[in-house]
Amino acid sequence: MFSQRELERYKRQIMLFGNEGQEQLKKSTVVIAGAGGIGSPVALYLAVAGVGTIKIVDNDMVEQSNLNRQILHNERDIGRKKVDSAAETLQAINPDITIWAIHTTIDAKNAKSLVGNADGIVDAMDNFPTRYLLNDVAIVKKIPLFHGAIRGFYGQATTIIPGKSACLRCIFPKAPPKEVFPVIGVTPGVIGAVQATEVIKYLLNKGELLTNRLFIWDGMRSLAEDVRVEKNPDCEACGTKKERRRKRK
Amino acid sequence: MWYKKREEKEEKMSVTIRFFAQFGELLGTDISAEPTSGGALADLIKEVASKNKEGYDAIFDKNGAFREFVIIMRNGKRLDTAHAENARVADGDEIAVFPPVAGG
Repeated sequence: MFSQRELERYKRQIMLFGNEGQEQLKKSTVVIAGAGGIGSPVALYLAVAGVGTIKIVDNDMVEQSNLNRQILHNERDIGRKKVDSAAETLQAINPDITIWAIHTTIDAKNAKSLVGNADGIVDAMDNFPTRYLLNDVAIVKKIPLFHGAIRGFYGQATTIIPGKSACLRCIFPKAPPKEVFPVIGVTPGVIGAVQATEVIKYLLNKGELLTNRLFIWDGMRSLAEDVRVEKNPDCEACGTKKERRRKRK
Repeated sequence: MWYKKREEKEEKMSVTIRFFAQFGELLGTDISAEPTSGGALADLIKEVASKNKEGYDAIFDKNGAFREFVIIMRNGKRLDTAHAENARVADGDEIAVFPPVAGG
């Protein structure tokens, strides 16, 4: 059931998918790993869309140099935990949803419990080792993973439905080298909006997902493309060989 | 007409190489190449990339092997970098070379 305020708030999107769809969003839980450049637009758009429970996980504090892109935070938040600042912004923008702010570093020990029984995991991380960890959890728990990454004016996104589509390791078997990456705020804006769109479509069971496709955004040329990708049977994370090993155990 | 077919074989092929993200900034985004025979795909990319040292070094290591994170697609299908060393290019091939990005 929705309050009058909620019905008014979601009026224009209920035109798209009805009360039923809105109800579907309301009863969903999404984990957003990262409250930075990508996490910001994803969280904002999922919050305003009315995704009922958003768990946002990050281990960082807000710094001045974050503010060119991490639009969940503002000048007054410098020095605060990113998740606290994020929760405050999200709750202010939509008081009718539940926000869980979890200040921790995602690691092999806690990744599974952090994800819990969420309906989706958003990869808004800034490094591949943690992404691979989220990918493993997504596979084991059979929870979709919505990947996004950026550098400069370039970005990429894909949606992983465990068991059905190529996983992150199938597409990127080796992590690119670590670096302090250059970035302009609009790039995570574009990629985060793509990921949030994917989450919403998945929760509503509507449209065509970015599964087995890698979306590539070139902001310098304003060019978006997608390239076909496929499951790698030898993938060390989801490959059939690995699956057989797991079953034997 | 066997002799005509042989003539065709010797004609130049038309192959497009597309570099993405940083690779494109350093090497150009869409490059038409006309290799004369079905050479190795890796050699063709090396030849095209060698016009810019920084671009070449971004894709290949000191030994001339693809850096392990480089993604190569041929006609929309992923090609393992190990296979790309020996794969032969064919007329009309579109080869995409790109680096995954990691920031967030």
